[in-house]
Amino acid sequence: MERFVDLAVSAILLAGLYATMAYGLGLIYGVLRVVNLAHGGVIMAGAYLGWVLHGSLGIDPYLSIPLVVLLSFGLGMAMYRVLVRHLPRGAAGGPASLLLLFGVWLVLRNVAYLLFTGNDQAIRTSYSTRSLLVLGTHVSVNRLAVLVIALVTPALLQLLLRHSHVGRAIRAVAQNADSCTLVGVDVERIYTLTFGIGTALAGLAGLLSATIFSFNPGFGSGELLKSFVVVVLGGLGSVLGTGVAALVLAVVEVFAILVLPSYLTSAVGFVMLVLVLVFRPGGLFGHRVLG
Amino acid sequence: MSLRWPEIVPPRAALAFAAGVVALAVAPWVLGLSPYSHNLVTLAFLMVSGALAWNWMGGFVGQVSFGHAAMFGLGGFVAARVLLAAPELPAPLAWIAGGLVAGLFALGAHPTLRLRGPYFSIATIGVGEAARLVFTYWEDFTGGSSGLSLPIDSDMKYRLYWWGLGLMALVAAASFLIRRSTLGLQLLAIKADVDAAADVGVSATFYQDLVFCLSGAVVGVSGGLWASYFSFIEPNDMFGFDRSIGFVLMTVIGGVGTVFGPVLGAIVFVLLRQFLLASYPQLYLGLYGLLLIFIILFEPLGLTGLLLRLSRPLRRWADRPAAAPSP
Amino acid sequence: MARRPAPLRRALAALAGLALLSAPAARAAEPTRVHLGATLPLTGAEARVGGFFKEGYELAVEEVNKAGGLQVGARKLPVALTLLDDTSTQATAVSLADRLVNSDKVDFLLGTYASHLIEAQSTVGEQNKVPYVNGGGGATKIYKRGFKYLFGTIAPVELLGTTLMQWIDVQQKAGRLPRPAKIALVWENTAHGKDFKKGISDFVAQSGGAYTIAVDESFALDGKDFGALLGKVKAAGVDLFLADAHLPDYITMHRQYVAAGLCHKVVSYGARGSEKAAIEALGQENVNYVLSGVWWSPQLGQKPGPAQDFVKLFQGKYPGRQPEWFQALAYESARALFAAISQAGSLDREAVRQRLSGLEMRSLLPGGTLRFPANLGNQAQNAFVVQQNLPDRTSPIVFPPDAATGTAVAANPRCAK
Repeated sequence: MERFVDLAVSAILLAGLYATMAYGLGLIYGVLRVVNLAHGGVIMAGAYLGWVLHGSLGIDPYLSIPLVVLLSFGLGMAMYRVLVRHLPRGAAGGPASLLLLFGVWLVLRNVAYLLFTGNDQAIRTSYSTRSLLVLGTHVSVNRLAVLVIALVTPALLQLLLRHSHVGRAIRAVAQNADSCTLVGVDVERIYTLTFGIGTALAGLAGLLSATIFSFNPGFGSGELLKSFVVVVLGGLGSVLGTGVAALVLAVVEVFAILVLPSYLTSAVGFVMLVLVLVFRPGGLFGHRVLG
Repeated sequence: MSLRWPEIVPPRAALAFAAGVVALAVAPWVLGLSPYSHNLVTLAFLMVSGALAWNWMGGFVGQVSFGHAAMFGLGGFVAARVLLAAPELPAPLAWIAGGLVAGLFALGAHPTLRLRGPYFSIATIGVGEAARLVFTYWEDFTGGSSGLSLPIDSDMKYRLYWWGLGLMALVAAASFLIRRSTLGLQLLAIKADVDAAADVGVSATFYQDLVFCLSGAVVGVSGGLWASYFSFIEPNDMFGFDRSIGFVLMTVIGGVGTVFGPVLGAIVFVLLRQFLLASYPQLYLGLYGLLLIFIILFEPLGLTGLLLRLSRPLRRWADRPAAAPSP
Repeated sequence: MARRPAPLRRALAALAGLALLSAPAARAAEPTRVHLGATLPLTGAEARVGGFFKEGYELAVEEVNKAGGLQVGARKLPVALTLLDDTSTQATAVSLADRLVNSDKVDFLLGTYASHLIEAQSTVGEQNKVPYVNGGGGATKIYKRGFKYLFGTIAPVELLGTTLMQWIDVQQKAGRLPRPAKIALVWENTAHGKDFKKGISDFVAQSGGAYTIAVDESFALDGKDFGALLGKVKAAGVDLFLADAHLPDYITMHRQYVAAGLCHKVVSYGARGSEKAAIEALGQENVNYVLSGVWWSPQLGQKPGPAQDFVKLFQGKYPGRQPEWFQALAYESARALFAAISQAGSLDREAVRQRLSGLEMRSLLPGGTLRFPANLGNQAQNAFVVQQNLPDRTSPIVFPPDAATGTAVAANPRCAK
């Protein structure tokens, strides 16, 4: 029983991490139908941003959240205006946008190499290794914080999408961009904003991961793959589905160690990814667009 | 079956092709290639073969695979296992065995083929990464992370030049024939619109299976040659995501969907990589990234498209009428 | 129609051009220098250690050149080192070694760092019959392939496992550890890790029930999340936590280990533990009492001898820094090669290979002598020293007794809290 509680707690914490990583990818796909392969690169950039702010300016990683989010938001808008905008959207632009954003990822990785070398870095704060006792298990403070943020983020996102003018426009564009143009919504502006928000979420995920893991310029590829699994599982483009899917993935991975060697637990996610794509392309919970 | 010259192969093209292959075959003697260049060209042959085969799927059918490393690795390890188990067997048989198993594996990926566009790409990432983890764990087959060592055979490494050349020539010829044949047209139809293709009686499933299997088999054979070349292979490297990416980059940079673009792309890839790795190891990935962005935005046919674009005004100038009529 | 194969013709031209890039250079009849080549992982996963090895190689070369060069026959020749970055990947390590031998025409090769890279790269030395001396590949598997040109100054990792267990056994016999003791054996899924596992498991099998292995799990090199693995360790309720990891994985794993509230009576990450980089990244309080078995420690330089000379030399160039085993083994590999070249009196690769086989050199390594036993595949067998991190920021050698510079603290006091 104690074992079960242990595993359940770590599954929930892991789910928090997975969800934060996946929200941005899901949002961008839901609205623009573009698979943002640069997502992993932005996660890495977010991690380094937090590291630089902490290392040189002494800003606590949690206090630097607004700054990191803002900077990645700007990066995302720039990426859209300069690059993604020029591609056909939807199925026609599929492979092209995939490859284009993959190129962006390679460039981001390279810039990080040149700036910070390939060495592993970590953000170490006074509470990095501190833990609390929850239900008799030790829970790292950082992981707990990530979980809280993972719960707050979709709530804020929902608030934005449901109750603000921009949010309603985003949902409308996601459903039918052409009719939006007809009723006078500036679709390009909405796309720019959405890409910015999605990228900002990726930057946030990177910052949060950096408080838990060490990272180098190659960081982010594993995170990107996990995000894929979560987004596909949750139905491409569904924010709430993403949260639930993160939990499903985390539970399966964590409990898989009861039957599998721990080396193979991450393979479970990939197998799930393929199975869901093949058998339930709309995601585990059917297809929904933005809640 | 009559012995008529196939119409889809223009004799001049066939002649030029044969001349090229012969030139490459005698190059090591004529040019007195240093062992280093000799080996580098051998690697280029293997990469060209892989890129050409990837292009059948990614270019002709339009299904961008990020998981070809699975077939490459499988081919390499099967070949290595065969070579270790039966050292007296001629190496080409081992490579073919690797190719066969890789081709069968590709057939096993059949269910993913009904996915299109980004869905297919994401699924191949999943298959590739799962394969990497499972094969790294499967020690009895791949030796786990410590990999497999083959007996050192310097002669074999030297001779691989011609084996690699042979493989490349075969695959290049096959690319040309596929493109020119009815099969090529059917693939084009699938690429343009799966449903419409089905309406006119082109079975997307069958042709995709066929092409994916062939593509996997060729990549598997080049994996087998790779194993013989390096004498040591390790699953994390053979099945690595970077390797899958390599096939994508080579083809896209050279010109995805064109017949010989991947050749160009692979050569540039190998040369650039070798040069940059020695002098500026940090730069090469970013440079590919920039190249990729540039190509997607401005020249979807890659270097091939660029060359065609450059050659057009030249040809127009060469073909200009002796006395240009003024409009 | 005929314009179709145009790109192919262009490709042929490019390939032909390639041949001209590296026209074979005639080998000078009378050598004017000793040209060594090496690749190191200066970027990528092993970048940090790659940098340490670079310091060791450069130190050895500078030392010789300051003394007027290397004595080869009647003359003193300057030593040149061509060092390239293999980016921690195998294919690159192999290609670049190929380039060093066949294009840059180096006389001899020094090894890169990390077992998997050495295993791949050493094939180039063997194929081209170039002596290859390394201090970075400790897995026994590398040396079991019957290579004649491969030499390792680094003792087998298996011995590291055995040495750690010997120390634990002393503590158990003194009543400081429970009997039987349950072990969590966590190893990197590489040749390095498998050797470690073998060293420990063999010892356990012969212990007559004094130890049991309760967790036996592997993890991927350069992993990021060890949550599942540590969960399994936690659930098994073991006494001793024995892991084997490379530096980045040690840092990541131990961070998650501490955060998960784990504590065991003995904690070791194999060869890792006392590195300055790790203490900086983890905080002194979190690495206290961690045990590490290393190939060399600067404390061996407390007594006069080659180790002391090396520490002085190192600190002359890098004031205020302590060398670690990385620099020492790199330095010693280069020195072994120099010694063999001098003894051979020529740059003839075959002659140097023979001298390396028969080499018996006064060494900074534990035991004081370096040799490459042919029956063990030319891998040096010098003993390990076990160090323990203490709260006063020192990491004294606690085992074997003849090299000890401090006393061990057994049954990790951290767990009492």
